[in-house]
Amino acid sequence: MLEHRNPNPALPKRVVVLGARGIIGKALVARLKAESAAVLALSSSDIDLLEEAAAERLRSLLRVDDALVVLAALTPDKGRDIATFMRNLRMGEAVASALGEGGCGQVIYLSTDGVYRMGPQLITEAAPADPPDLYGAMHKAREVMLASVVEPARLAILRATMVLAPNDTHGSYGANRFRRQARESGKITLSGRGEETRDQIYLDDLTSLIRSVLAHRSHGLLNAASGVSLSFLEVARLVAEQFAERPEIVFTPRTMPVTHRHYDITATRRAFPTFRFTAHADAIARVHRAEGL
Amino acid sequence: MTAAAAAIGYAGMTHLGLNSAVAAAERGFAVVGFDPDASRIAPLSRGEPTVIEPGLPELMAKNRTRLRFTSEASALASCEVVYISPDVPTDDTGTSDLAPLRALIAAVEPVMRPGAAMVVLSQVPPGFTRGLARAESRRFYQVETLIFGRAVERALHPERFIVGCADPARPLPPAFAAFLASFGCPILPMRYESAELCKISINFFLVASISAANSLAELSERIGADWSEIMPALRLDKRIGPHAYIAPGLGIAGGNLERDLATFVRMGGETGTDVGVVLAWQANSRHRRYWALRRLHETVLSRRTDPLIGVLGLAYKEDTHSTKNSPSLALIAELKPFRLRAFDPAVKVQPGWHPALAQAEDALDACRGADAVIIMTPWRPFSALAPAAIAEAMAGRVVIDPFGVLDGKAAAAAGLEHHRLGAPGG
Repeated sequence: MLEHRNPNPALPKRVVVLGARGIIGKALVARLKAESAAVLALSSSDIDLLEEAAAERLRSLLRVDDALVVLAALTPDKGRDIATFMRNLRMGEAVASALGEGGCGQVIYLSTDGVYRMGPQLITEAAPADPPDLYGAMHKAREVMLASVVEPARLAILRATMVLAPNDTHGSYGANRFRRQARESGKITLSGRGEETRDQIYLDDLTSLIRSVLAHRSHGLLNAASGVSLSFLEVARLVAEQFAERPEIVFTPRTMPVTHRHYDITATRRAFPTFRFTAHADAIARVHRAEGL
Repeated sequence: MTAAAAAIGYAGMTHLGLNSAVAAAERGFAVVGFDPDASRIAPLSRGEPTVIEPGLPELMAKNRTRLRFTSEASALASCEVVYISPDVPTDDTGTSDLAPLRALIAAVEPVMRPGAAMVVLSQVPPGFTRGLARAESRRFYQVETLIFGRAVERALHPERFIVGCADPARPLPPAFAAFLASFGCPILPMRYESAELCKISINFFLVASISAANSLAELSERIGADWSEIMPALRLDKRIGPHAYIAPGLGIAGGNLERDLATFVRMGGETGTDVGVVLAWQANSRHRRYWALRRLHETVLSRRTDPLIGVLGLAYKEDTHSTKNSPSLALIAELKPFRLRAFDPAVKVQPGWHPALAQAEDALDACRGADAVIIMTPWRPFSALAPAAIAEAMAGRVVIDPFGVLDGKAAAAAGLEHHRLGAPGG
């Protein structure tokens, strides 16, 4: 659950975005700049968080009234192994170290719903974080790292579910991969009959949510999910509908058991009562158009 | 039993104490109702009930000569039995604040007759009564099973008396035994701790039924079943019963049930008892509490700009003016950016509840121009509203009626989009 420190929402004097070259980072920076917000967009070419001097460099850039949005992470497509896990931890260590002295006005850490074990339980912010893999464990560890150096009233953690975004490079199973498959091969390949249900959040909704957290100076924990889960088959059909020449949906023998994930997003409704999520069908259509398809 | 045999005292004139005192008077006993808060006593002395309960005003008037209300503790010196009866407040986590109760006991005990029985009637955790200073032979705990809106009926016709004692084998003091016997129901003496845990045990079984009903009602909403069709079948099952708590609700409402769960979790943690099932009940309750908020977002708030919401009912439940733990007020607190119009037969809108909450003149007035109407307290008069009149008054079509105050078919026939707990589609 989030709590707000800012009764009259307004963007901070400056937002520092760490990981500004990624899909989410680019979209967030563009959104904030469109509102004429002061933004310091930092990518690995500005600060390589794996370098020894990274913490000092970041510390020198941060002002006490900045809001820092931490998006930088090596995603699973860069590696799911222990070495990648350790590199991600070192990046987290650098950020935590930079924040350890003085810090800044607010820190927003974008984590993952991969911290939750897959199972039939309805996911809320109270669900136990019991990461089943190194990627989830890395994010959970980084959450704890930041919580150890940032006072609770200044730290907001958003655990994002799968992000629906144009030009996604991660290739995760879901709408983004289905669209690429359809474009490249005219086919969408599903495991089994695509029975699994998952939530997803549209990129613009995620950046809107981060913007709201910035404006309200919110702190606490929030799952970034739409509250509506569809089966992969339903998602595949929505993706297929976007193509003039309908791709074939191919079912393949299932190798993994069917799992589901649903969210209770009451905490989001309570924190931001007027926030509206884009319907999945609309989001899929918008992403399709954004890719010029 | 004659009234001359013993006077019965009640210390603490809130909901529990007042209803219990009036029931004792109806049984023919002279009753002293004490509360250190003189502002609470003044209206009672004029014969005006300070809580709303069906039958309470009539019963108070009928027994006026047997009822004496006072803010002087010394008046309890005339009593052979003194009930300690204030309602014990809880915080947001369901934890009791026992300090006012202890202060009251400290004020009452010195004025009591040495041989009089002190009976703790308030909601206390196991171990509380054992820890009091009064002699064990004159110190008791009695389980209360008050239900808001049915308090008089429950106080007049208890199913049984559960009495915590130092030694259950020892007879109760004659005056206390005679008073209990006048109600004509079984009396079950047991150890202090057993009686205190018995109170929690009763509530556990209620919570188990409520949680099962709420879980199954949610699944009903999602798979095209209707929980209202299933309930009668369950009530005819002897193992479940006609009075089982299986009507779906907005979580575990009321405060007392949550208090007992919190007490169990605390004591379970201290003693190494498995508390997993209780944590699951609590989580399910938190989830279902916001059913109406989620429905409202899905149907109206995510679709309309600047919607007007009509709210029928503000009280915690029907036939009471209490707003403590009111689901309606909890919902209103989550709707700060939106315009609301509300009506309740017993509760007026208070400034400070919401920045844009208007008081409606009557129920239909609360529906006027509304994009959605939410019926949050199932007052009987609301069920008399004609769905067609509601539809005509509203600007929108959505009626969120968790407790099924309106007939779903009639509402649909009037063109309303009717949402009820446990119904297909919710």
